[in-house]
Amino acid sequence: MANFVMEARHVYKAYGSKKAKKAEKTGTCVDAKHIVEAVKDVSLQIRKGDIKLIFGPSGSGKSTFLRCLAMLDIPDRGEIYLGDECLTKPGVDLNKARARIGFVFQHIYLFRHLTALGNVELALRQVLKLPKEEARQRALDALTEVKVTDCANKYPAQMSGGQAQRVGIARALARNPDIILLDEPTSALDPELTGEVIDTLRDLAREGTTMLIVSHEMPFAREVAEEMIFYDEGTILETGPPSQFFNAPSTDRAKQFMNRIISRTTRE
Amino acid sequence: MFEFLLNPIYVTWIIEGLLLTIEITLFGVLLGLGLGTLLAIGDIYGNKTIKAAIAVYVEFFRGSPLFVQLFLAVYTIPAILNVQIDHYVMAFIVFGLNSAGYQKGYMKGAMETILGDQMQAGLSTGMSKLQTLRYVILPQAYRIVIPAWTNEFCSLTKSTATLAYVGLSDLISAGISIKGITYQILPVWLVIGVIYLVWITGFSKMMDIIYDKKKIPGIELLM
Repeated sequence: MANFVMEARHVYKAYGSKKAKKAEKTGTCVDAKHIVEAVKDVSLQIRKGDIKLIFGPSGSGKSTFLRCLAMLDIPDRGEIYLGDECLTKPGVDLNKARARIGFVFQHIYLFRHLTALGNVELALRQVLKLPKEEARQRALDALTEVKVTDCANKYPAQMSGGQAQRVGIARALARNPDIILLDEPTSALDPELTGEVIDTLRDLAREGTTMLIVSHEMPFAREVAEEMIFYDEGTILETGPPSQFFNAPSTDRAKQFMNRIISRTTRE
Repeated sequence: MFEFLLNPIYVTWIIEGLLLTIEITLFGVLLGLGLGTLLAIGDIYGNKTIKAAIAVYVEFFRGSPLFVQLFLAVYTIPAILNVQIDHYVMAFIVFGLNSAGYQKGYMKGAMETILGDQMQAGLSTGMSKLQTLRYVILPQAYRIVIPAWTNEFCSLTKSTATLAYVGLSDLISAGISIKGITYQILPVWLVIGVIYLVWITGFSKMMDIIYDKKKIPGIELLM
């Protein structure tokens, strides 16, 4: 187990009314329309240095799965391991665990009242309890790494979307997490800004950062991902190297989805 | 008409009354802010019992007249407990508790506009819920709540008139005493009214300036 940085075992997560969820737990019959199964028995292993990419139709539960891995959503069933530690056991210090996981949000979610520097510094000061000077230096280093030092003293509302997302990546990076989870980091950005963020991710990939990325940036996927995971209707339908998906996906559903993405990209 | 303003005794009454009004209002708003923040957090994160207790608290202080609350605190409660408590102390406390009943609502509203994404962002960096509240949610919520807070201050300032009924000499009771001796009813109330107006306008303007200063840079571009 120790050779995995992160592992999900049979994770299940559903959304619905409390009543529906209770009925589901006790095994009584539930009207399907009252409950949405976002993650259905999903297992996944990530080793140190892995770069994996999850893709699939929107609304299929990719984000929920990612949030479950970071324990920002608590799975209903199944286990999440961070190294040797089982995060889904009762009594685990989730704050400590989350400090070892970097998370980048689709809609960025920077702290609006803090500058870029403040955004990166806050957890270094409050979570890692670093002294002021050291926290500042590490925050600056992280901003340098994603090339947004010119924004250090800007507030989120004063940055472009691409700059803001790179600050978001710096915020996740600065704690030297075991793994970084990125939830569609570019899908809220226009193509030009997407490029900036993809460049940053490419740099991280080159440095051997362990990453699990939800994304539909296919050229990027082909270049950096060791494994692509096709996710649909709450489950992993197909897993394989990019070449498999670009040449001949084995499932019809994946084939269909890849065709649609590739034809859209070429039209652009 | 306004000769009473030349009498140093009357002027002293007015100044002392104004000072009491200011003290009680500022203290009440501050205590109300602290307690209102705790109530708002309790109402968002508490269990059913805590939420119910907070609802009872808020409805009592919002739903009953301040005068009745003041009367109970100054006369009834010390009588039941058979202790002597300074009227001023009780008045300070009642104003704080009363204001908290209103400020809980302002704080809860402000916090709920921020909580969704910012709490997630905070937790994702390894901070606890409490740390995220302290360093991310509250600093933003207080900025939002400043205009509501200014209203609360204006309203509470004028509510200090009820102090006269429990024998404390605020600005209104100074007016009552002076008009009782001089019979210059309209001039006395005009003067008292203008004093309120000047103080409240000045303070509100100051709060407006603070509100502008505290605005998060760049946010105005988005409006």
